[in-house]
Amino acid sequence: MSVPILLWWIGSHTTTFVPPMGEVLRKMPEFLSEEDIWPDVLLTVQRVAGSLMIALSLGFGAAYVMHKGGLWGRVVDRYVGLMLGIPSTIAALLSLYIFKRSELGVYFVVSIVTFPFVALTLLQGLRAADRRLDEMGDVYRLPTSQHARHISAPHLVPYTFAAIRNEYAHAWKVVVLAELFAVNSGMGARFARAFDRFRIDDAMLWLIIFMIILLATEYLLLLPSERRALRWRGSGKEALL
Amino acid sequence: MIAESVTPPRQITGERRQRIQAFAVAWLLALGVWQITTFISGGWVPSLWRIFEALGEDATTANIYAEMWITLRRIFISFGAATAIGIGLGVAMGLSRRVTAFFRPIVVMGLAVPDIVYIIVAILVLGTDESSGLIAMVLALVPFVVNIVIGGVKSRDPGLDEMSSVYRLQRHRYLVDVVGWQVSPALLAATRTCFAFSWKLVVLVEALSQPRGIGAQVYYSFRLLRPDHMIAQALLFIVVLRIVEAIMFGPLERKLLGWMQ
Amino acid sequence: MSRTAEYIRIVGLNVSYDGITPAVSNLDMQVAEGDFVAVLGPSGCGKSTLLHAISGVVLPQSGIIEIAGQPVGTGRGDQSVPIGYVFQEHRLLPWRTVAQNIAIVLRAAGISDEEIDLRIDRYLEMLHISEYRDTWPLRLSGGQRQRVSIARALAIQPAVVLMDEPFSTLDEVTARVMRQQLAELWQESGQTLVFVTHSIREALFLANRIFILTRGPASVFDVVDVPVARPRRYEDPQLTELEAQIVEHVMDEWGYGQPRAGDDDA
Repeated sequence: MSVPILLWWIGSHTTTFVPPMGEVLRKMPEFLSEEDIWPDVLLTVQRVAGSLMIALSLGFGAAYVMHKGGLWGRVVDRYVGLMLGIPSTIAALLSLYIFKRSELGVYFVVSIVTFPFVALTLLQGLRAADRRLDEMGDVYRLPTSQHARHISAPHLVPYTFAAIRNEYAHAWKVVVLAELFAVNSGMGARFARAFDRFRIDDAMLWLIIFMIILLATEYLLLLPSERRALRWRGSGKEALL
Repeated sequence: MIAESVTPPRQITGERRQRIQAFAVAWLLALGVWQITTFISGGWVPSLWRIFEALGEDATTANIYAEMWITLRRIFISFGAATAIGIGLGVAMGLSRRVTAFFRPIVVMGLAVPDIVYIIVAILVLGTDESSGLIAMVLALVPFVVNIVIGGVKSRDPGLDEMSSVYRLQRHRYLVDVVGWQVSPALLAATRTCFAFSWKLVVLVEALSQPRGIGAQVYYSFRLLRPDHMIAQALLFIVVLRIVEAIMFGPLERKLLGWMQ
Repeated sequence: MSRTAEYIRIVGLNVSYDGITPAVSNLDMQVAEGDFVAVLGPSGCGKSTLLHAISGVVLPQSGIIEIAGQPVGTGRGDQSVPIGYVFQEHRLLPWRTVAQNIAIVLRAAGISDEEIDLRIDRYLEMLHISEYRDTWPLRLSGGQRQRVSIARALAIQPAVVLMDEPFSTLDEVTARVMRQQLAELWQESGQTLVFVTHSIREALFLANRIFILTRGPASVFDVVDVPVARPRRYEDPQLTELEAQIVEHVMDEWGYGQPRAGDDDA
């Protein structure tokens, strides 16, 4: 924990740009109580959550079709492969053209960029399905709905968490990008404005808020849910990094 | 031990036919949807034909290749540095719990920080020359490499570690012969990922800060409201880079992972 | 109650996984209702395939499989002939508790909710694992997991219980206890049991009749009756005698050549 702080300290003393830590931290409470920062924060959070949900649905659908195979399986496979390779900047600029400056554009960019990764992870999960449990389900003549609910779905839970974790962080990055290029609201836009106006301390503060939200979601939301969903495994098996 | 059954020749060409079919359907569908979008947006989104023309114009000017070369150079420098640093750090962390504990928070935060932030901060601190962009890229890429490499190192067979200590293997022999080969798939995966991210990242860096490079060109086309050129240049770039990726990693993968078959 | 002599009736069974290499070839087998039979064969001879075919998981190329006069259904949700199956590895859903694991299978068999609870209690009791009702499988030992697997199989009160080398992964002491208790369980319940094993001693201890299979592809090489009174002891000299006879009998068939004089393969 000490290293980044150390780096900041060094940075602030060697250049005139980076403001000393104390000053920035002092501005924090004032900054946080400024009412107009919260709508932007909320907006960005909303966008991330919404796009992630879309990405999860699309990703699951894609993984399912890819796993089934056949003509559509291969077609979707190609699309996913293609979309993995689009630089998010280009996707952002493109969506700007298609959706102009609307909210939809942001959701579009973030979902399109993240869903292929979700699909890949879930596909791995589908492929790793335990044939032996499937067979047990067949022997006991489990109807398809029960089979899906008790055997197929729980198997995918760890993979879903992995996908969520990775793509959540990814989604944040893309959303900032999208907000920077495409719309005038949200944290990304505020951050860019701070940069434009050379308000470095503001930029730093936005960065800190960003960090806090990220760490908070990881430790307060993701890890506990994961632990709870996977408690049948015994302890110590959650993702490490 | 499953008895191998001989595949009749007709089955093999059937497989090929399916792949071509899928290829055709995928492309026709995609192009069709694009044309519809063009139509719906009333010409705002450039038509396929327009893009094709722009492609023709751009591909025949020498300018674009000079820009591409600049971009490629930047990709290779940052990708190289990030891979080297990432592997070094990743292996060190994977082998020792103390090192992991020390660097963990940085790596976690590093993974979470949006690339833009690195770029902006780098520019603020170091000014606007090329080096700040490159440093920003390296900073953004290293955490990914480290993450993958740590995964590979930590999942090595502890039995082999035990064997190494029983037979008193020297440190560097241990690293190369025992750890190295076990970790090679992870190293390869890390390198591939790093490269893949680096060329996507460079577009962003160039769009924001540099006067030259493909990313900058794409951004200019965007700014000048020339979507046809923007898309054409982006396409050229993506195609070239995928080819480079295939050339770099195809044979390498076969060579390094042959022992696993 | 009159017992059907041909409760399980298998005639001319041919099973092949890929359509080319047969795993079971021209196999005939009849099992009386309520009987405890063993299927004995060397590794890889196709005895598991036989069970797969009987349970309806694999479709045979040709031949008849009937249980209680009905052909075995193969669709999901088809409960015409309920089958209980105990696998070699427990195949319990690790993310559901013991009780839930049994409940899932009971529900699929169309049993009502109140009845489900009653059966869970009853069969967990029968297998001496009532205290683990709400435990997760991964917290149980191998022997306990197999007990759950057996309880699950018995709870649906199937037409037949198929067991595929269920004790082969357990340590010897646990396995002995399980065999003992299985024999007692059978005597109480009168369930028709088909038990696959590669251990001659195990087959002799547990079953009334042993179907000895040939080396792959499997067909029935011989049928041996075990006229030893119950309760049996694992070390009973009668069993040892029978074992020696069987070993000599199958040596050639299973491809191990003539035994030297005085060689006892215990």
